[in-house]
Amino acid sequence: MEDRRKLLNHFLAALAYRTQKALREAPGDFGSFRVGEGVRTPAELVRHMASVLGYARTFFVGGHYRPEPLVSFAEEIQRFHEVLGLLAQHLRDGDPMLEGMTEERLLQGPFSDAMTHAGQLALLRRLAGAPVPPENFIVAEIREERLGPDQAQPVSPDKEWPEAPHGWKP
Amino acid sequence: MTDKRELLRHTVATLAYRGGKAVADAPKGFAEFRANESTRTPGQILAHIGDLLDWGLSTARGEQAWHDSTPRAWDDEILRFFAALEAFDCYLASDDELHAPEEKLFQGPVADALTHVGQIAILRRMAGGPIRGENYFRAEIEAGRVGADQALPRVEFD
Repeated sequence: MEDRRKLLNHFLAALAYRTQKALREAPGDFGSFRVGEGVRTPAELVRHMASVLGYARTFFVGGHYRPEPLVSFAEEIQRFHEVLGLLAQHLRDGDPMLEGMTEERLLQGPFSDAMTHAGQLALLRRLAGAPVPPENFIVAEIREERLGPDQAQPVSPDKEWPEAPHGWKP
Repeated sequence: MTDKRELLRHTVATLAYRGGKAVADAPKGFAEFRANESTRTPGQILAHIGDLLDWGLSTARGEQAWHDSTPRAWDDEILRFFAALEAFDCYLASDDELHAPEEKLFQGPVADALTHVGQIAILRRMAGGPIRGENYFRAEIEAGRVGADQALPRVEFD
């Protein structure tokens, strides 16, 4: 695989990892948690993330991509990983891009968009009273072929967490 | 320069563009806005992003070091954000050896910083001063353009 596409695939793997970290062991009703008017719920965020990645995929396959709301949050998460996996496959296969699209524009647009939303999911976890424990991401087990919901546990979780909820143990 | 190193620089430029947009023209008092008692303020998040970029640079140089900084005034913290980006990008643009693979630099400090930019954006909305949506595909982002002088958006929407 060409080097730039390898790094893009690593970007998608990091996105899968961070999204799962933000969602793992979330409260049962987290998908519908709404912190304020005009702010997306986690389910809406995950659908939007699937939407921007699906849009990116149209630059390989053409057409349009507008995901409809699904019944459950679990299904939204599953679809997100499916779209992410399909997009990664185009990169791995070296498929040509349409309409003059470039790796740089994919990165600065939908890929980065989705990463910012993964951060928002983590913030919503905290606002929902179930924060995500910190870790050293540079040593996290992030691999290009691991794009589904089954992501690795942290290699180096922080031993100290000043903002930890009551009862947290490292 | 390798293709991967060049694309990492483009990611750093993307961070400059998106981060610059998230912090520009923030409502008065936004730096201290606290969504609830357990969340970081935007000022604390921006200081953390600066720490992440310093850490990224130190890792690239092979002398990895972490430092928790005390948040500065908002405008000063914005200056520090761009200064840290410029220092990091300057090293990436050089012929000096990268002491960590591009993948690790990306998945650690750079991706982390992007997630925090997303958090500042959502806090802007909660604080009543949302940033406008944008088609970032079309944004004028280029490797090396990492200072405060970012291009104006080409396609924005509400």
